[in-house]
Amino acid sequence: MIQTQQPPLWRSILGRIPKILIFGVLIFWFLVELYPIVFMFVTSLKSDKEILNAPFAFPAAIQYSNYVQVWIGDRANQPYISFFANSVVVTLGTLILLLFVASLAGYALARGSFPGSKAVQQGFLLTLAVPVHVLLIPMYFFMGRLGLRNNLIGMMIVYATLGLPFTIILMRAYFLSFPRELEEQAMIDGCSRLGTFVRIVLPVSRGALASVAIVNITWVWSELFFALVLLNKQEVRTLPLAISAYKPAAMAAEAVVGQQFAIMSLTTLPLIIFYFLFQRHIRKGMTAGALR
Amino acid sequence: MAGRQTLTGSQVINAAEPRNTRLSRLARSISKNLIWYLFLTPAVVLLLAFMAMPLVESLQLSFFDWNGLLPPKYIGLENFIELLDDRFFWSALSHTLIFAGVATLGTVLIGFLLAVIISRGTWGSSVYRVVFYLPVMLPMTVTGALWARIYESNYGLLNTLLRTIGLGDLASPWLGSVDLSLWAIIAVSIWQFSGFPMIVLLAAIENISQEIHEAATLDGVNEWQRLRFLIVPLIRPVLFSISMLQLIFSLKVFDLVWIMTKGGPGESSTVLGTYLYKEAFELHEYGYASAVAVVMFVVIFIVTYAYQRMIKIESSDY
Repeated sequence: MIQTQQPPLWRSILGRIPKILIFGVLIFWFLVELYPIVFMFVTSLKSDKEILNAPFAFPAAIQYSNYVQVWIGDRANQPYISFFANSVVVTLGTLILLLFVASLAGYALARGSFPGSKAVQQGFLLTLAVPVHVLLIPMYFFMGRLGLRNNLIGMMIVYATLGLPFTIILMRAYFLSFPRELEEQAMIDGCSRLGTFVRIVLPVSRGALASVAIVNITWVWSELFFALVLLNKQEVRTLPLAISAYKPAAMAAEAVVGQQFAIMSLTTLPLIIFYFLFQRHIRKGMTAGALR
Repeated sequence: MAGRQTLTGSQVINAAEPRNTRLSRLARSISKNLIWYLFLTPAVVLLLAFMAMPLVESLQLSFFDWNGLLPPKYIGLENFIELLDDRFFWSALSHTLIFAGVATLGTVLIGFLLAVIISRGTWGSSVYRVVFYLPVMLPMTVTGALWARIYESNYGLLNTLLRTIGLGDLASPWLGSVDLSLWAIIAVSIWQFSGFPMIVLLAAIENISQEIHEAATLDGVNEWQRLRFLIVPLIRPVLFSISMLQLIFSLKVFDLVWIMTKGGPGESSTVLGTYLYKEAFELHEYGYASAVAVVMFVVIFIVTYAYQRMIKIESSDY
């Protein structure tokens, strides 16, 4: 009787095996996902000799020289600080333009039922399905004709347009649930539609605007395809271009590995800081976008 | 005809009146709603100028032979006929489909397994949540450059690791091999993006109400049955959604391939995106490259549009 109440030892060990196995798999995947990122930051702090001879080791002495060289420009005199500045300018400019245009349109679609509103809504949905790669060749010549090639403002306009379809739909959904009473009060007080929108609606919508910005900031900061053809001149290049300028050649032949890792780290760091600051918002935003 | 002739004057006016008022009502409604059209103008102008127009131009260009300098020459469907005979195009197309298919399967499968495990409240699950999503945040250029270093055959991390643990025979020139390059890049894509389906599926699993779980527990189901008959059927729509999103995203692959191999060695990892880029901006065959773009557009647009129809995106106010 007593023996049947207590399960035999072999069975309790066997019962634990799936749990141990699952835990092992998790730890393994944890290392696989995290280690390369840690490796990147650690390597950026090592000398080239250490990088080649002891790839797994932590630096004997932390080398900031890679960053210093990257920041002020290396032997080829490429000013990486300017890549960084260009990326910041393009990202901020794109976000401001995109948020303003998309919230105007999203607000109109959510509030107005006017002739053609359904058609416009359908049109926006159609643009959502356009694979932007197809636009590259005509865009190259068009931007040339406009004189906006090698121009950061041109890049902002292109990026804002690429982000519009998705952002408009997100903003429309948000404004559908926006309380009408607030606007009506302002309009009774003699505010115009536009005045109401700029002075009442936008300030109240800070949170929604922030989460839409969060959804867009990552791809704008990282965009390569259009930057590759629209930004040829050294002084307007963004960070992804700085990274693509390094050829994946054999390591031994070159002595700029440390610097390459420093640029990679500098490009990633803002996004990682941003991720840790807003991780809940980011994951929630991405999930909402996918779940619908 | 005879009927119309018998109409009296007043009847004619009566018949015309509703049309007039309808027109004027439309005009009034447009002027009353003028502000909304103004609100829409910036977005419509940007999308017409920088999306619709280039799209049409891309289609037009695909019927021309153009090197960017001389005037374009109309050649009808010749670019497309040439595409049919171009084995580099076919390999680019098949690489793209293989890439998208395998990367989607890999990310969704791994994401699903991780989501199931983490949803069971394993120790430290909030840490896993944060870390598994972290690579999704990296710019693909960084991921590509980082993994090109890890894959490097002499000093790279992967081969060094394999030699250290006595598996030196497996050490390979991952990106320098015609047989391995595409698969090595697919592996990186799975490494970077499996956190995305994981987070989405995790949210879906956690949305399942606790009552259903309790009912199942009372019925005495085991973990496998819970997964097979409870969780999977309930999250099937999300599983479908995330697979389609991942597929559409992967069909547009460019950055990773461009940074890691530029499509090489040979043509072994060329995808439609890199093929288009090379034909246009290295060989200056803008018409031919536009034909590639049109094929790419058709493939991706059909998949995306079908998906949007299926989930009835227009009726849901998300």
